[in-house]
Amino acid sequence: MTTVMDRPAASAGHTASRKPLIERLNIVTALVLGAVSSVVVWQLALKLLPQDADTAFFFNREDKIMLLALIAWFVGFMTGIGALIGPFRWLMGKDLNHDENMFLAGKEQGVKRYFRYTTDHKVVGIQYLVITIIIFLVGGILAMLIRTNLGHAQGGWIEPQTYNAIVGWHGIIMIVATIIMVTGPFGNFIMPIMIGARDMAFPRLNALSFWLIVAAVPPVFISFFTGGITTGWSAYNPLASQSALGMNGYIAFICIFAISTMVAGANITTTVVKMRAKGMTWNRTPIFIYGVVASVALALPAFPVFFLSQIMSGLDRAFATSFYNVAGGGSGWLYENLFWIMGHPEVYVILIPSVAALMEMAPVFTRRPLFSFNLAIMGIAGISGLSVLVWAHHMYISGWAPLLNAPFMLTTELISIPTGMLFLVLIGTLWRGRLWMTMPLMSIFALLWNFMIGGITGIYLSDVPADAFLHGSMYVTAHFHYTLMGAGLTGALASLVYWFPKMTGRMFDKTLSWVSFWLVQIGFNVAFMGMFMVGLAGQPRRVESYAEIFNKGNLVTTIGAYTIMAGMLVLLHGVISSWRSGVKAPMNPWQAKTLEWTVANPVPLENFETLPVITSDPYGYGKAQS
Amino acid sequence: MSVETHAHSNPHHEHPDVVGSRNRLGVILILVADIAMALSVLFVYFYLRQQNVNNMWLPAATSDNPAVVALSPKGTWYVTGLAALGLLTHFYGLKGVRAKNQTQLVLGGGLAALFSIGALIYQFIQISGAPFTTTSGAYASCYFLIAGLNTLHLVLTVFIAIGNWNRSRLGIYKADHWHVDIVNVWWVWMTVSSLLGAFALSFS
Amino acid sequence: MTNLQTPQTTKWWKKSDVKKTFLLWLILTPIIGYVGTTVQLRSIGAPASEVMASVKTLMGVFTWAASPVAALVAALALTSLSGKRHYGDNPPAEADHQISNSPRVASTWVVVSTLLCLFALITGLVVLQKDNESILDATAMNVNVTGQQWVWNFDYVESNGVRSADLYLPVDKPVVFHVTSVDVKHSFWIVQMGIKMDANPGYVTETAVTPNKIGVFDIRCAELCGLLHAYMQTKVHVLSQADYDAWLTAKSTIEGAA
Repeated sequence: MTTVMDRPAASAGHTASRKPLIERLNIVTALVLGAVSSVVVWQLALKLLPQDADTAFFFNREDKIMLLALIAWFVGFMTGIGALIGPFRWLMGKDLNHDENMFLAGKEQGVKRYFRYTTDHKVVGIQYLVITIIIFLVGGILAMLIRTNLGHAQGGWIEPQTYNAIVGWHGIIMIVATIIMVTGPFGNFIMPIMIGARDMAFPRLNALSFWLIVAAVPPVFISFFTGGITTGWSAYNPLASQSALGMNGYIAFICIFAISTMVAGANITTTVVKMRAKGMTWNRTPIFIYGVVASVALALPAFPVFFLSQIMSGLDRAFATSFYNVAGGGSGWLYENLFWIMGHPEVYVILIPSVAALMEMAPVFTRRPLFSFNLAIMGIAGISGLSVLVWAHHMYISGWAPLLNAPFMLTTELISIPTGMLFLVLIGTLWRGRLWMTMPLMSIFALLWNFMIGGITGIYLSDVPADAFLHGSMYVTAHFHYTLMGAGLTGALASLVYWFPKMTGRMFDKTLSWVSFWLVQIGFNVAFMGMFMVGLAGQPRRVESYAEIFNKGNLVTTIGAYTIMAGMLVLLHGVISSWRSGVKAPMNPWQAKTLEWTVANPVPLENFETLPVITSDPYGYGKAQS
Repeated sequence: MSVETHAHSNPHHEHPDVVGSRNRLGVILILVADIAMALSVLFVYFYLRQQNVNNMWLPAATSDNPAVVALSPKGTWYVTGLAALGLLTHFYGLKGVRAKNQTQLVLGGGLAALFSIGALIYQFIQISGAPFTTTSGAYASCYFLIAGLNTLHLVLTVFIAIGNWNRSRLGIYKADHWHVDIVNVWWVWMTVSSLLGAFALSFS
Repeated sequence: MTNLQTPQTTKWWKKSDVKKTFLLWLILTPIIGYVGTTVQLRSIGAPASEVMASVKTLMGVFTWAASPVAALVAALALTSLSGKRHYGDNPPAEADHQISNSPRVASTWVVVSTLLCLFALITGLVVLQKDNESILDATAMNVNVTGQQWVWNFDYVESNGVRSADLYLPVDKPVVFHVTSVDVKHSFWIVQMGIKMDANPGYVTETAVTPNKIGVFDIRCAELCGLLHAYMQTKVHVLSQADYDAWLTAKSTIEGAA
C-alpha cells in the first residue's frame, strides 16, 4: 500500500515542473515501472521471506515470491501508464480540467495516442483490435503446434509436459481473445457512435479496461516459461495446486482480466442505458447494441466468481489454505462449481455479440428489414437469463449432486428455445432479400451451418446419459469449437470486414476476404468433423498421444487445421495491406442506416458536431408494397 | 433516420444531474460485480462447512496440534458496527449538504472517515490475533478469506471516505453533491457486505 | 400470415419459393437424418452394455428429431441463396417488400421448438431414470475404483482383498463402481459400456453397469490429470462367470501367498 500512497505526492511535485506528469506517462514508463517494481519485489522477497517449514506443501515460498512479483508488476504497470492519476486527483480534490481531459482523449497527438492512457473510445477500439489480433496470432500458433503433434499417433515430438502447457495456454488465451473480439474492438469503436454518443460514459474506465488487458498479458507469457499452465484452461483444482509455478501466471492473468471485464461491463452498460441519442427509444436501438450489452452485463456477475476462484487457488498455493485441498477440508467440487458458474455464461458472453453483429449486418446485405426485432431481443434476453442457471451441466458426471442432474438438464435444454429464435431472425431476414454477395453476408450462412451443428451436438451433450459417454472426449472439444469458433469467430471476422472502412478509413480487400472466408470455413468444418468422429470413437480430450484407431480422424483434423491457418494468414495479410494501402472508403460504403455511417472518415474526435435525433429504427430497407 | 439538433452542443457542460445519474448507475453496476463476489464467498463458506470433507472443517486435536476452535463472531460484528456508524455519520453529512449546510457535511464526512480508519485498524487486530493459521483447516481458510475481503473493502472505504471529506472541506460540493450521494451508496454496501461476513461467521 | 401475402392475393403456400423450400425440406430431412445417424453411430462402435446401447438409441433418436429442423433451416437458406443475388461494389436495389414481422411464423416456430425441447428432455429423463435405478441393485457386485496418477486400481469388495490394475468382470452381472482418487481428479470411463464417473479426491462416487458382451474393452481417464494423462488407460476383461471365478480364485491365491 505504501508505494501506492506515495504516488499523489510525487505527482503533485512533478506537476510543477515543465511538463505535467499526465503528459509524460506512456507505455514506456509503464513497462519500465512495471518491470522495475516486479524485479525489486522479487529480489526483496527472495531475501526476506522465511524458508518454508518442513511441514509445508511444495512450492509455498516460491509461489509467494512469484505472486508478489506479479502483483508488483501489475501495480507498477498501471501506475506507470497513469491509471492512478484520476483517482488521486479526486482524492486531492483537484479534478481533471477540460484541457487535461482533452489531452487524455488524445487530442492532436497523432499516433502517440495509441501508446498512452487515451480515453477516446475510437483509440481504445483500435487498441483492442490490435491486441485481439495479436492474441489470436499466438493462440493460433499454439493450436497449430497441438495439431501438428496430434497429426501422427505416436509422433508426439512435443514432451507431455510441454504439450499440456501448450493446450492450457491455447485454451485460456483463445477464451480471452474470443471474449474481447467483438465487444472490445467494435463495442468500443462502433457502439458509442451507433447510439449517437460523443464518447463512453466513463472514458477513463474505458482506457483502464484496455490497459488492464495489456497488463494481464505478460503474466500469462511468463507462466509458459515457468512450468506452464498444464491443467487445461479450466485449471481444475487440486491439479492446479500441484502444478508448477506457471500456474501463478494463470492466476494473475485471470484476476487482472476479470477486473478489466467488470470495468468494461459497467462502462458499456451505463453508456447504452444513459447516453443514447434523443429519440432512440429501446425499439429504435440497433440489435447489435443489445448483443453487446447482454454480453457485458452477463460478464458483470459472472467474472467476479472466476476472480474469487483464482484468488482461492492462489491462497491454496502460497499460504497452504484448504479451499480445494481435500486433506485440509477443501473440495474440488467447490472449484468446479465456481468455475462453471462463470464458465457457462462466459460462452454466451462470446456468442451473443457475434450473432447480434450478424443480425445487424443481415438487413444491410439483404436490403430488407430485420425479421422480428422483438424475437431477436427475446432470444438474447432468454439466453442471457437461462445461461446463469445451467452451469452444472459441466458436472453431470462429477458426482457432486446426482439429484440435480435432471433440473440442470431441463434448464440446459430450454436454452435451445431462445437460440432457435435467433435462428429464425437470421433466416427470416435472408428470406426474400436481395442478397448482396459479400463476405459478411456469406458469414451469416456460415454461422447458420456451424451453429446448427454446434447446437444439435449441444443437445446430445446436455442429455445426461449421452453425456456420460461423451463428456471429456474430443466430441466436447469439437462441439465448443463449433459454437465459439464456427459461430462466434465467424461473426467477429464478418464484423471486421463490415466495420473496417469506418475504423481505418479504407475498404477491406474483397478478394482476400473471400479467399480467407472459404479457406477458414472449409478447413474448419473438415477439422472439427474429424474431431467429432474421434470423439465418438472414444478419444479423450487433452491427450498428447492416442490409440491407433484414432489415426485417420486426427490426420483429417490436422489437415483441416492447416487449411484454417492458411485462411487466417490470408486474412492477416488482408488486414495489414488494406489498412496500409487499401482503397479509401466512402462515408457509407454499405449504404447502411445506423448512425456510425453518418459520420465522416476518419471519425472526428467527438464523433458528432451536433448530436443526432432519432425518428425511426435503422432497418427501414425495402420498397413499400403498394 | 436522423435529424440534426442544437441541444447539448457541448458535452463538457452537461447538467450535473445527468452526470450524477450516469455515475450512480456505473457505481451500482460495479457493485453488482462486487455483490456477486461477496455472495460467492458466502457460498464457499457454507459449502465447505456443509461438506466437512475428512472432518477438517474444524480439525480435531492431533498429537502435533490442538483442536481448532472457531472464533467468537463478536469481533466481526464489531467491525460491522463500526461500518454502520460510518454509514450513519456519512448519511448525516449527506443530509447536511442537501440542506446546504457545509459544516454538517464536513463534520459527517470527517467522522465517517474516522470510523472507516477505526474499522480497518480493528479488522487488522482481529486478523493478526486469530488463534489459528492458514493451514488450520477449511474454517480457518474461510475465516481469512472473509476477513481479507472485508479488509479490502475497508481499504477502499478509507480512500473514498478521506477523499469525500477532503473534497467537502475544499468546498467542492457547494454547487452539486452527487458525489456525496454515490459515496453513500458505497457506504451502504460496505455495511451490508461486512454484515454478510459477520452473519456467515456466526455459524461455525 | 397476412404479412407474407402478396398483393395478388396468391395463397402463401402457392408461391414458388415456398414450394421450393418445401420440396428441399422433404429431400433434406431424410438425408440429414440418415447421414447424421449413420456417421455418428458408426463412429461409436459396438456397445458392450445396455447403457451404451441406450446411449446409441438416444443419439439416433435425437438426430432424427433434429433433422427436420436442420433441414428446414438449410432449405430456407438454400432457397434464399438461390433467389436474387447481387455482385459488385455498390449496394443492390432495395428488396421489394418491407416485412419486418410475422407473428404466426414466430409463434409457430417457438411452439415447435418448445415441443422438440420437451421431447428431448422426456426421452433423456426416461433413460436417466433407468441408469439411476441400476445403482440401487442389491444383487450387484461391488468394485472399488481408485484413480491415482496415472494408473487405475480395482478392489473387488466381495473377494478377500483382491486388487488388480486391469478390470475383470463377469458377463451379465450388474456391477456398482465406487470411484475415488488419491491425488487429483480423474474420470473413470469404460468407453464401450458408455459409463463415466469422475474420481474425486476426498469423495466416493457411484456408477453402475451390466456388461453384456464377453471381450476386452477400453478404460480411459477422461479428465486431464497431469503429465501422463494420455497414458492413463487400461483394459476391462469381461469373462464368463466360470472364467471370472477361476481368475478370482487364482488371483486371491497369489495375493494370499504374497
